[in-house]
Amino acid sequence: MNCVTAFTVEGPSVGQNEFESDVQHFSGGRTMCQQHQCSSCFNRRDCLKMVSLTTMGAGLLASLGEEAPAREGPAATDYVDVQSLRPKPEVRIAASFLELPRPYWLGWPGTTYDLDGHQKEYSALLNASAQRLGIMVEKEAQPLNSDATVDGWIAKLKDQKPDGVLVILQHIHAWNWANRIADETKLPTIIFAPVGTAFTGHLAGPSRKTGVFVISSLDWSAVEAGLRMIRAKRMFEETRVLWIRGNQRNETVVERLGTKVRAIPRDTFNQEFDKQPVTDEVRDLAADLRKHALKIVEPNEEDAINAMRAFVTAKRLLAAENAHALSMDCLGMVGAKLVPTPPCGAWTLLQDAGITAGCEADLFGAMSLMMTSYLLDRPGYMNDPVPETVHNTLIAAHCTSGTRIAGFDQPPAEYILRNHSESALGVAMQVLWPEGQPITLVRFTGPNEMIIDTGKVVGNVQTPPAGGCRTSVEIALDGVEESRDTLGFHQVVTLGNHRRVLEGFCQLYGIKVTHSPRFSTFQYGGQT
Amino acid sequence: MIRYIALSLVFAVASGMLWAADPVEFTSPGFPPSRLDADGRLVEDWGSVKIVVEGEGFQANQGTVRTVRLEETIPAAAWTSEQGPVQVTITAYRAPVFPAGMDILTVRLQETTGQDRRLTVKLEVDPPATIGLSVAHVDKQAILAIPVETQESLVLNDWGYTVDTTAMPGWAKPEGECDPAFANIRAGMGGIPIGYRFRVPPRSQVNVVLGLCESHWDRPEVRPLICLVEGARPMIVDPISRWGRHQPGVLLFASSDTNGDGWITVTIRPVPGAQDRNPILNVIWVFPGDQRPNLNRVIKGELNNQALYYVDVGGTRDQPILASQDLRFPVELSANGAKELTFYVACPGGSVVIPELTAWTTQGLYRAAKEVWESWSQATASQ
Repeated sequence: MNCVTAFTVEGPSVGQNEFESDVQHFSGGRTMCQQHQCSSCFNRRDCLKMVSLTTMGAGLLASLGEEAPAREGPAATDYVDVQSLRPKPEVRIAASFLELPRPYWLGWPGTTYDLDGHQKEYSALLNASAQRLGIMVEKEAQPLNSDATVDGWIAKLKDQKPDGVLVILQHIHAWNWANRIADETKLPTIIFAPVGTAFTGHLAGPSRKTGVFVISSLDWSAVEAGLRMIRAKRMFEETRVLWIRGNQRNETVVERLGTKVRAIPRDTFNQEFDKQPVTDEVRDLAADLRKHALKIVEPNEEDAINAMRAFVTAKRLLAAENAHALSMDCLGMVGAKLVPTPPCGAWTLLQDAGITAGCEADLFGAMSLMMTSYLLDRPGYMNDPVPETVHNTLIAAHCTSGTRIAGFDQPPAEYILRNHSESALGVAMQVLWPEGQPITLVRFTGPNEMIIDTGKVVGNVQTPPAGGCRTSVEIALDGVEESRDTLGFHQVVTLGNHRRVLEGFCQLYGIKVTHSPRFSTFQYGGQT
Repeated sequence: MIRYIALSLVFAVASGMLWAADPVEFTSPGFPPSRLDADGRLVEDWGSVKIVVEGEGFQANQGTVRTVRLEETIPAAAWTSEQGPVQVTITAYRAPVFPAGMDILTVRLQETTGQDRRLTVKLEVDPPATIGLSVAHVDKQAILAIPVETQESLVLNDWGYTVDTTAMPGWAKPEGECDPAFANIRAGMGGIPIGYRFRVPPRSQVNVVLGLCESHWDRPEVRPLICLVEGARPMIVDPISRWGRHQPGVLLFASSDTNGDGWITVTIRPVPGAQDRNPILNVIWVFPGDQRPNLNRVIKGELNNQALYYVDVGGTRDQPILASQDLRFPVELSANGAKELTFYVACPGGSVVIPELTAWTTQGLYRAAKEVWESWSQATASQ
């Protein structure tokens, strides 16, 4: 007999396991391999692997990158806190004021500028931002005010290698020091020049330099946005994304962003789903899903239960693989009828908790979702773009929008419980996006280039009469003459105009930015 | 990283635990392996690379290949040989670059007799490759890349192209009186930037003139180009909008060697999102910094003999920046000193990154390998 542990599964629509006749049912936990009497074996494949390992020597499995053993199913009481899946990297920022020797006489910001008062104010704001963002800031105790003190700080930064640097200018003649700090440390550098410490000429060079984010303003929120950029980059680096597709198991790292990509066979998900019992957590989540819907159109209770089984399955899989995000060949899985529900509803819940859940194994679509989650603290949704040629708008449609589109800590948008429109299965949310509000479209075409466009929500398209996906938002694009020219596919739609923050992130980390063309290159009547 | 590799090798030799039969395979989690042969040849699915060290007093002795783990984490292959006065160690491991990985080949040279030495490291690529400054191709596959820090050891011409883009003589049909070089181009097929370098006194200023003539498209905005000349303000130009089809045009750049490396770099990149992302370039002139050239005369070729450099891009006298089409790296070793050269090699199913365009560094690749193997080992152990 194979040494397989399984669970008695409650609830409806659980597919027949092909090994069911060989399975002993237990209430949970591991069973002992009856052939080898070893308590660590789980199934036949594991047993064989254990024999192989014993024979060939430990460590060989790791060095050859063998397929990982299948996991046993969860106990009914197993619980994964979804918040524990969001990456929480250590983020270290070094900060200092740059001023000239006192007292000031002529030259901006001027003799009347209250240096101590402003430095106290900015220090307090910096502390508050650090606390809000969960980052560590080491600020120099005294402002730097000479070549010697700047040299010393540069040497210290080179040695300590913080994740980013913040300099706050307190004199218009301190720009040379700010530039030196950025150039010589080669660390991502935020230069905050409160109004009174910069002219256009000072910004011309550094504000367009890779690795530097210049803020010439009195608006501290821009400094906090800069700190968010550094935190977001660390979150990308800390993230392991599960790429659930095909039948390979391997791991690679994405250039520039540093995100680990762990490919695992697509069947892993549906096999784990099959093992997922209907727990109290599943029931409660399914009830909440239905209770908070503005309206329920197609899905029944069983659909909601299955959607939440998919959610819990995804959490378990992420935790087991030490991963923080996923992107799955969901359509292939649904097409092969391997699961009773597409994962759309589950993906919405993950997105709302800050866990990136991407569709169709589109890896850079998932990276784009991470961008809004990590930098803007809000979910979006990747979309299939449809140009609407009568109104010259773009309809952005998919079935996996998050509901907390104004921010993870904000009230959710209203949603209608629908099924996945292409398959008429399961649960997908039609999230109702607020008309008249600005949005941003974000898309990594690869690790080195990002498409950024902005627009405004014109309306929510209903299915029917339209076909396509359930969340279907009509957008009037800013500064794009012709909606047919909109660049990209699976761009992520996110609420708010975040163009400058995203561009700042790209500049800080050397990512090329492109926008859909302002003017159409189409020549009317000139084509054959 | 040198320290980690050296320590790992010392540990491996001392322990005597990791010796393996030839050849030695290594890989990254879940990917097909590469192998390092008994003669130090790295064998891939496209062919092989062998590192040969030449110099006075050298003997091409047999070496030993063995399995090692760098920092007890990254599986690697190491080949060691005493070649007269120098110990040669070749180490190869797989960097887990998305999507298919890339092999990192490092040669470490250790002088052992207490004398200064001059030697040459030569890379033998089989089948023979087309070689640019930083990337070598077999057919159209980029199979070997030379990281920026290793490029410093190459012997270079005073000027030349840095990436082997496609030369297309006679492609353009310039109209009107103009220099004949306008008829020829290089094209960065597949969006590859066109790059040239010119040797100048460090920190000096020059005037660079780029000549362009678009003869394929007749509509504007289809193939705009980003022109990057060191020290000058970047310029985006759409040749059709600016001059029209078949019309030669020139752009002047007040350039300077801003990084002080003694080179002026010229790069033509495609505009992201453009319909045609294959950049083109016809002519380059480099004039002294104190000579502002008359552009009407430049177009006609009347100032060619006053230029410090005149390049008929894609023409018969165009040349690569590399002085030799052998991959030869002169190395000076101080007494008992050591040096290391690193190369990127395409692994099975993979390609190499272009050093000038990538964010990867040798240190970053090593760190990525370490992190992936650490997590992979943990995952395997926990399951």
